[in-house]
Amino acid sequence: MSRRKTWFRDLAVHLVLLLFVVYLTFPLVWILATSLKSTPEIFSGHFSLVPGEITLEHFKTVAAEGQIFRSMRNSLIAGIIATVTVVVIALPASYALVRYRSVLNRLFLGWILTSQIFPAILIIVPLYMVIRFLHLTDTLTGLALVYVVWSLPFVLWMLFGYMKNIPVELEEAAAIDGASRVQIVYLVLMPVLLPAIGAAALFAFISAWNEFFFALVLLKSPGTVTLPVELARLTGIEGQARTGPLAAASLIATLPSIVLFAFMRKWFASGLLAGAVK
Amino acid sequence: MFVISVQLSVVSNPFSVCSVALWLIIECSVKHDDDECKGKSPLRAAVAKAVICLMIVAGITGCKTSGDAAAARPLRFVSLAWQAQSVEAHKNMVAQWNAQHPDRPVEYLQGTWSSIHDYLITAFETGDVPDVFHYESSVIVDFSARGFLADLAPMISDELKADVLDVAWASVRRPGGEINGIPFLMESFVVLYNRQMFEDAGIVPPTFENPWSVDELRQAAQRLTRDIDGDGSIDQYGAAMGLRNAANIFMNMSISFGGSFFHKANGKYTVQVGAGERRLLELIHGMLYRDRTMSPSGTGKTGSAMIPGLFNGNYAMLIGIGAWARQQLAENAPEDFRWGVFLLPKAESRQTGINTQTLSIPAKSSRRQDAMAFIDFMVNPDNMARNARCDWMLPTRRSCLNREEFRHGGHGWDIVSASAKFLSTGPWLGAPGYVEWKTRVANPILQEFFANRIDLDEAAQRLETESNWVLARYQMRGETW
Repeated sequence: MSRRKTWFRDLAVHLVLLLFVVYLTFPLVWILATSLKSTPEIFSGHFSLVPGEITLEHFKTVAAEGQIFRSMRNSLIAGIIATVTVVVIALPASYALVRYRSVLNRLFLGWILTSQIFPAILIIVPLYMVIRFLHLTDTLTGLALVYVVWSLPFVLWMLFGYMKNIPVELEEAAAIDGASRVQIVYLVLMPVLLPAIGAAALFAFISAWNEFFFALVLLKSPGTVTLPVELARLTGIEGQARTGPLAAASLIATLPSIVLFAFMRKWFASGLLAGAVK
Repeated sequence: MFVISVQLSVVSNPFSVCSVALWLIIECSVKHDDDECKGKSPLRAAVAKAVICLMIVAGITGCKTSGDAAAARPLRFVSLAWQAQSVEAHKNMVAQWNAQHPDRPVEYLQGTWSSIHDYLITAFETGDVPDVFHYESSVIVDFSARGFLADLAPMISDELKADVLDVAWASVRRPGGEINGIPFLMESFVVLYNRQMFEDAGIVPPTFENPWSVDELRQAAQRLTRDIDGDGSIDQYGAAMGLRNAANIFMNMSISFGGSFFHKANGKYTVQVGAGERRLLELIHGMLYRDRTMSPSGTGKTGSAMIPGLFNGNYAMLIGIGAWARQQLAENAPEDFRWGVFLLPKAESRQTGINTQTLSIPAKSSRRQDAMAFIDFMVNPDNMARNARCDWMLPTRRSCLNREEFRHGGHGWDIVSASAKFLSTGPWLGAPGYVEWKTRVANPILQEFFANRIDLDEAAQRLETESNWVLARYQMRGETW
């Protein structure tokens, strides 16, 4: 291929990538711009990504109302409990399903997969009854438990796919050196699986961080409200919204996810790939 | 450990959770004794152990556990106030109540209009209900028909009964006389206009005493529609209307055209698009496509989304928007923007439909008397007036409507308050399935019609046929008002 053709191809690829990046970042830039505009400018209806006059009034409003940071803390607590629990259960479970040969394995996997066909609205009443039976309604523990139930099947399937691709010889070598099953999983396999675990943990955490419906129904007290529910309170009847404060709060809410992705993107990308190829 | 983790994964399947719930239901229903359900069994002991583990985790992370929930529970009040002023007003009222009634404290819970339905349905089905909740009359009909709401009629004071407008009571009264919500705010639809454009066109806006007819509105819209730069395209429309969720406003406006869409005969509701309804639909469609005096941008937007266009001079009048929208104009309009309010044009009459915001008590609330005392406090004249002022809506008490602030308060309060006498109940307020009908049938069909994808005959025919499918389903379940 001539140098000129290569140059054109590279240019085309970069243009497409640039367009894709613009497409992905546009909502974020829009939210940022809106959060920095004054209310009359937002209501002027003029399209602009650059605020005419930068103001922090909406951030001040959000901070003054004082709920957003408490709801972020609640989301963080529920997300961390759910993520840790999911990974702690899914890691040995996926190992067992891969390595222990049993006729029940397929049955178990099929059973776990059925969870993916349930919409949340279908199970909310029975789920609520179970949580109430456990005296865990209106608690972050109860909510985290629901998030575990909701994301564990998918995380298990993710880790199952990664685990299958790890050569059994690695474990045999460790076993010959005297390692127990638990040691094999946590000392030998875990370092190899770190990208996959990172991807699975990220999935579990982001699912919990963004989840709205279960949090809406299970949590009652103002002190336990999570971030997505808090954000919804800035919207009103018939499509009205307090647009400025909503944009500011949404931007604040997005930051932890962005930071998390920035730190874990390497793990996340390689984790996804590790499960995709043999 | 591996076996346990697989077991946990299998048990964590939502289907397993449903099975456990089913087991709980069967166990409780067989014993017919709630206390017995709390007894010990091997399975429950295992569950309890799991819970203890979880609570240890919860304790480490410092989050709230069920120990807090065991404390004496205050009354729970779910409010749908969402504007900063009205949220503050509700919170202040709750604080005031708590200061006056330390033995019956109220906990303020913030609901949202977009999710309150799911929240309440789950609460009603599971029995874990708030003690007082804020919603609207057209929706609580369905809750009432399903037995979810307490009858408040025996608990309403004579003073409140006499002071609240009859039309507001009619919006929440069932045929047997039961009342399932105390109406405290009323919606009124108005026309907002740009004073400068009216002056430039030499048009005098209608007064309360001398309203425009439909033809006069149409003629004014024609005079206000202008091609300013002479390029052949319209730069300024005479009128605009948010038509994305058009059902609500068209239902309410239809009464003045002699229609109502809903008809009741032999205890059954049906939807009929008669001459009055057709005339209303044809008026707006004609302004959009024949006269070209109404901005087509409204076909995909809500009323509130049309307000920036009014500020920008894209159109001179915003027709059929709720009186609450005055707040957006008062607070967010450019400094040099002068605006005014007048009432909807007179067709056959000046009557329009009413929808009220309500405070209700679930049937499963164990503290109805306390809840009703709190509602009495929330709807006392001072608090009702404050709520109305913060939400820019009409109070339902006569004594509030007669207050100076509503009669001569500026920002169109005088006109909006006076319009209360034209409010009337439409038959749809008693129709089970009305909310579903509005969102699944009426709004989509009206959107297609106003986007000019279907003609009036097809819209009318589909409204009748598809509506009656939905209503028949509710009536088959025996839900009547």
